[in-house]
Amino acid sequence: MAAASVYSSTGFDFSNLTRNNFLSEKGLPLPKATSTGTTIVGCIFEDGIILGADTRATEGPIVADKNCEKIHYITDSIRCCGAGTAADTEFVTNLISSNMEMHTLTHGRKPRVVTAMTMLKQYLFRHQGHVGAALVLGGVDSTGPNLFTIAPHGSTDKLPYVTMGSGSLAAMAVFESHWRANMSRADALQLVKDAISAGIFNDLGSGSNVDACIITTNHTEMLRNVEMPNERVQKERTYVFPKGTTAWKKEDIKKLVLSEEVTPIGGEAMDTD
Amino acid sequence: MSIMEYNGGSVIAMVGKDCVAIASDLRLGNQALGISSNFQKIFPVTDRIYLGLPGLATDVTTLRETFRYRVNMYTIKEEREIEPETFAHLVSSTLYERRFGPYFIEPVMAGLSRSATGGFKPFIAATDLIGCLNFAKDFVVAGTASSKLYGVAEGLWEPNLEAEQLFETISQTMLNAVDRDAYSGWGVVVHVIEKDKVTTRTLKGRMD
Amino acid sequence: MILLLLASNGIVIATEKKSPSILVDDSMLEKVAVVCPNIGIVYSGMGPDFRVLITRARKSAQAYWKMYGEYPPTRVLTQEIANVMQQATQSGGVRPYGVSLLVAGWDITRGPTLYQVDPSGSFWAWKASAIGKNMVNAKTFLEKRYNDDISLEDAIHTALLTLKEGFEGQMTEKTIELGVVTVPTPAEIEEGRTGSATGRPKPTFRKLTEEEVRDYLAL
Repeated sequence: MAAASVYSSTGFDFSNLTRNNFLSEKGLPLPKATSTGTTIVGCIFEDGIILGADTRATEGPIVADKNCEKIHYITDSIRCCGAGTAADTEFVTNLISSNMEMHTLTHGRKPRVVTAMTMLKQYLFRHQGHVGAALVLGGVDSTGPNLFTIAPHGSTDKLPYVTMGSGSLAAMAVFESHWRANMSRADALQLVKDAISAGIFNDLGSGSNVDACIITTNHTEMLRNVEMPNERVQKERTYVFPKGTTAWKKEDIKKLVLSEEVTPIGGEAMDTD
Repeated sequence: MSIMEYNGGSVIAMVGKDCVAIASDLRLGNQALGISSNFQKIFPVTDRIYLGLPGLATDVTTLRETFRYRVNMYTIKEEREIEPETFAHLVSSTLYERRFGPYFIEPVMAGLSRSATGGFKPFIAATDLIGCLNFAKDFVVAGTASSKLYGVAEGLWEPNLEAEQLFETISQTMLNAVDRDAYSGWGVVVHVIEKDKVTTRTLKGRMD
Repeated sequence: MILLLLASNGIVIATEKKSPSILVDDSMLEKVAVVCPNIGIVYSGMGPDFRVLITRARKSAQAYWKMYGEYPPTRVLTQEIANVMQQATQSGGVRPYGVSLLVAGWDITRGPTLYQVDPSGSFWAWKASAIGKNMVNAKTFLEKRYNDDISLEDAIHTALLTLKEGFEGQMTEKTIELGVVTVPTPAEIEEGRTGSATGRPKPTFRKLTEEEVRDYLAL
């Protein structure tokens, strides 16, 4: 099967490494992979977990994406927020989501949050911090609500409220001053929104909108852009250029429909009931 | 000086009303020295998908062949044309495979995807050099002039531009941005993809 | 005996699962397997061989998902399994897989489709078919009953009726298994693509629960 497949299995390809190291020795520094400043949080409330994230992706000082999604799907009742190297958070959560689905199919029951946490920490530890993913993992399983943070080197924490990313200090300040045990759903959601907003407004690496995800025993609600405090206002005027503004030297039109023939089928009007 | 700036070059893609456009400059340089003014960085993948590969020129050629191979294998094996969303994931996973020894390319793609009801929907996407996907609803940029392109596009782009208007907007964005980038320029090529035709125009640009 | 039926708006697969003794805990027996959210498989033949193939099929589906961000079309997955089975016919030190499979699934290009895979590695598509014990009679029965615009509900009943022909013992929710492929609406397809509230497209293949099977048997 493996030989016949175009797609290969897991594992990285290091064949460019020699060339890339040679180039960097020649005085051409290797570009840093896109790293994302982020505010991600999670907190336990009376009947589940709420996860929160901002929606800004950055490439150094540039805002690369103003409305990206940082709450990743693991299973129906487990989600994972990602901070750090954007590609790593995306692929590591996809990998674990895939493993969790295999787990569900082979064992015939819902996998637990600790299972995802263990898979993630073992994967990250194996890569010794080179896979730069800082995660907040939360979900509800047969043991109840579970909330973890996983650092890029594979260490984990289990706490009732957690924050991660460059905006974690701002968000934690909100949690430390307002968090209470057994909060109601509405109070907890407001707290998460406030914590993310603190990151959005006080941390340069975080910005745009608030995403939240409420996970309870038998329902998961993804609240995409639950708060949009930075919406772009209508432009004062438009900058549409009149046709012919741009001078071109050569034009080539490739017609995708080469010929079209419509054969009318006669008689009565179509029955539209 | 980073490897990403070694040969220079920039690409931008924009969404319009039932159409998309993708444009690149035509310069190939060896650092500050200009080598070619007809170095294509945008390649057709299918009739309705175009892929831009700004970055290190040697990797432009390698990746172009890699994707040509993978898309051909897909088409043969599945007996269907690849859809833009699927292709974007293919690009992403191909780049992430080399997470620890990457190609120095930041791909940009534009295309029309077939919707479930039979129509076409505009699609653009870009990834960083290790394959982190960015599905934007307005425009995506990459290359040595990316910082300038972000600014100009943010000011000029607006929703629901018709194909001809989109051509003017993307052309002016590109021309004005690369004029402020020493490593991009030497002419611009623009592709506008509509449901029934693809218009390719080579623009008159500064040659300095 | 296992059979499946392609309806205008879905597919049904039905199988008997006979336990060799009343002492066997029949909750362990499983003949319909989910490969990925859009594809399911049933088998006739050797259980352990099927288990190995299913694991291979699931891994293949996951590898495909990791590469393309979507699950494989039924035909591609069937081909993948068929390749595994073909390899076993000409590799040293192994014997061919002792199973025939019926693969049912939905995908955007070909809609609901069903395939049969044989131990030789050959595979082909069916509109309705049966494999295993009593398959000849069942196929004759299906030939009489089948038409192209049968609805899924009717197909389920036809499947149960066919299964009943020559069924040994009582047909209950414990002694049969049902799986269905449903066709999503264009709206559901769009939603699945852009990322719905669950973050994933809605599954199009599912096994019916014992309660649902009981309800169909009662009708």
